[in-house]
Amino acid sequence: MSERKHITPIGDDGVYVLDTGSWRVFRPVMNKEKCIECGICLTYCPVSSIVGDENKVYTITYDYCKGCGICAVECPHKAIDMVPEGGTK
Amino acid sequence: MSYIDVLRESKNVMTPGSSACQGCGGELVTRRVMQIAGPNSVYAVPPGCMAGAGTVGWNYKSGIHAPIHITLLDNTAAFLTGVSEMYQRKGRADVNMVAIAGDGASADCGFQSLSGAAERNSKMLYVCYDNEGYMNTGFQRSSTTSLGSRTSTTPIGSAINGKEQQQKYLPLIMAMHNLEYCATASISNMADLVKKIEKGLEASKKGFAYVHIFASCPTGWGYAPQESIDVARRAVKSNAFPLWEKTRDGFKINYDNKKPIPVSEFVKGITKYKTLTEENIASMQRNVDSVYATLKKLAAE
Amino acid sequence: MGKIKALTGNTAATVGAALSRPDLIAAYPITPQSSVAEGLSDLVHDGQLDSNLVQVESEHSAMSVVQGAAAVGGRVFTATSAQGLALMYEPYFRMSTLRFPMVMALATREMTSPETIWSGQQDAISVREAGWIQFFCDSNQEVLDMIIQGYMISEHPDVLIPVNVCYDGFYSSHLIEGVDVPSQEEVDAFLPAPTFNHAVLDPRTPMALDPMTPGNILMKYRKSHLDAMEKAIDVIDEIDKKFEKQFGRSYGGCISEYCCEDADVIIVTIAGMTGAGMDAVDLARKNGIRAGLLKVRAIRPFPAKKIAAALKGKKAFAVIDRSVSFGWSEGPVHMEIKAAIADTDEKYMHMSVIGGLGGADISVDDMYDCITYLDRCKNEPGEHETRWLMKD
Repeated sequence: MSERKHITPIGDDGVYVLDTGSWRVFRPVMNKEKCIECGICLTYCPVSSIVGDENKVYTITYDYCKGCGICAVECPHKAIDMVPEGGTK
Repeated sequence: MSYIDVLRESKNVMTPGSSACQGCGGELVTRRVMQIAGPNSVYAVPPGCMAGAGTVGWNYKSGIHAPIHITLLDNTAAFLTGVSEMYQRKGRADVNMVAIAGDGASADCGFQSLSGAAERNSKMLYVCYDNEGYMNTGFQRSSTTSLGSRTSTTPIGSAINGKEQQQKYLPLIMAMHNLEYCATASISNMADLVKKIEKGLEASKKGFAYVHIFASCPTGWGYAPQESIDVARRAVKSNAFPLWEKTRDGFKINYDNKKPIPVSEFVKGITKYKTLTEENIASMQRNVDSVYATLKKLAAE
Repeated sequence: MGKIKALTGNTAATVGAALSRPDLIAAYPITPQSSVAEGLSDLVHDGQLDSNLVQVESEHSAMSVVQGAAAVGGRVFTATSAQGLALMYEPYFRMSTLRFPMVMALATREMTSPETIWSGQQDAISVREAGWIQFFCDSNQEVLDMIIQGYMISEHPDVLIPVNVCYDGFYSSHLIEGVDVPSQEEVDAFLPAPTFNHAVLDPRTPMALDPMTPGNILMKYRKSHLDAMEKAIDVIDEIDKKFEKQFGRSYGGCISEYCCEDADVIIVTIAGMTGAGMDAVDLARKNGIRAGLLKVRAIRPFPAKKIAAALKGKKAFAVIDRSVSFGWSEGPVHMEIKAAIADTDEKYMHMSVIGGLGGADISVDDMYDCITYLDRCKNEPGEHETRWLMKD
């Protein structure tokens, strides 16, 4: 990038990303035996850490998941468990 | 397309890592609104939780994959009017104009500019995420803070017990502006919320659209982060936060509570309400019933 | 060739703005500016001006709306006075620190209290640290011309700072003078369409306008703003010459001098009082006093070096301020001129003169009295007591 002139304050050098995955104390884990792939967890995730593929199969990603636990509470089939971080999994 | 498909297939515009608190209702609102409006939009976000959480970026970086400006706390709708006018003038009305502002920036010091833009019917979608206070700066009282709430400027004291006034009901005030679209939504009723953002965006091509969204706040209100949706659901179910919309065809209640739960059940377990007296709760219940009765009349054929 | 028309200062501002072809106008009525907002509304409603006219509910929103349009590269205009300027201070300061070019006409007015609607420069002078370029005009012709020049200065790539064109409320805003109104073709030939694009809110080039910025970086923006102010002094001169070439009128850039060359004593004026000052100088010359007048046209950037050079070799000067500097017991421009000469070897007799507040008149007699006092005391260097032009 050419040297900044510092005229108007602008943020044009990519997007700022905070490592929010490191905040997590409990990790949501999907139990695919109970999961019916309804996708409701995706709609309520405040961090958009739950993704669904073209086959409507849903997965939790952990890079930015803050471990709030909303998905576990809101899952109509109780298919998400909150598991302490630093445990076996 | 179902609302779940809409959300599954849409792009994430906002940074994946934002400093919003765990279980933040405001972050949930902002992500959903940005997913639906997409990157072909100009976003105006005043100071508040969502600007503080990093949507407007740091140093030389942005917080989202779209143009965004941190407006002044009190000029969001006016600033976006100027942007919108220029896009109309340039023949680029396809670009969405989206404001995402908190209740302080909307109901309090930003109210004049919001009301002015609504009265002019300026073309934009203005989303207010209402977490009932200035949460980003440590939970000070706003005019949408509910009666009896403990905030850092309406503390629980031996002389005065929390906020002494009922909340200002901004959505109905906005509906009286003869604007293009006005609605309330809650993070608990996601299908309804998604539809209203879509409708609001569509209306924003013709004039001013306003969507007021209940966005519960675990940190400020005092409840566990995983309960955010449930708290919002109780607000809807008790009619403390009724869901309705006003289009050019008139008012419509979108979630008709045949058997509303009492307000006492909504406030249960939330720390900011922990010192509510019986009298407080009765007063809140009367207020809730009165607003809802008004809405029912407005929505009647 | 333009046409000579009888125009008030406000109409001159309206015409100047319209000739500059703004993309967007947002103005809120306030005495004594209101006829600018009305005049531009007439032009747009009659289809004579192709600008987006936004009716706002306050000056705060007026400045905010134009800010939004400037953030998409639009050329914008607004106008206000006194309380309106005070109300818009928040987006006003931000307009300059976002470095968006624009022109705002300011029919200057005294600040309340006491309750007043009349002339004074306290409004404009009070915001001289808000990062704008501020011109003060003393004729309606100058108002019109400086609005057109203002856009060129403001949009200059080395400047990118918004411009205030200030003129005295009522004395200029409401009084009629002959004004040479250039044709649209002439103005188009002088002033190209805006091309600034250093910060644009556009999905094609997504960026955050104004991310959270810590002090070490913020200081770089401030420094660049100050550097641009410095450069503006030359740009103002350059554009004054360019304007003269096209329209045959020159104002001398940041300052203009009248009978200064051989003068012993100088009165320094700002905006509309200049005419009376020139009459007083003529009278003094007739009576054997070597008097001159220095008109400060730009308060920001402050042309300190030019002022010091113009005062060099003079014995005495008085600065007539139509505003006050609380805590200094003198006028603000006098205070700044003291700073401008601080590093010279000259020893002046000088004084601050305060007059014309709240619409009070500054007469030729007042000016003449100042000149005779300066002449009497010209060999008593140092600051003399502030003179108040007060009458019972």
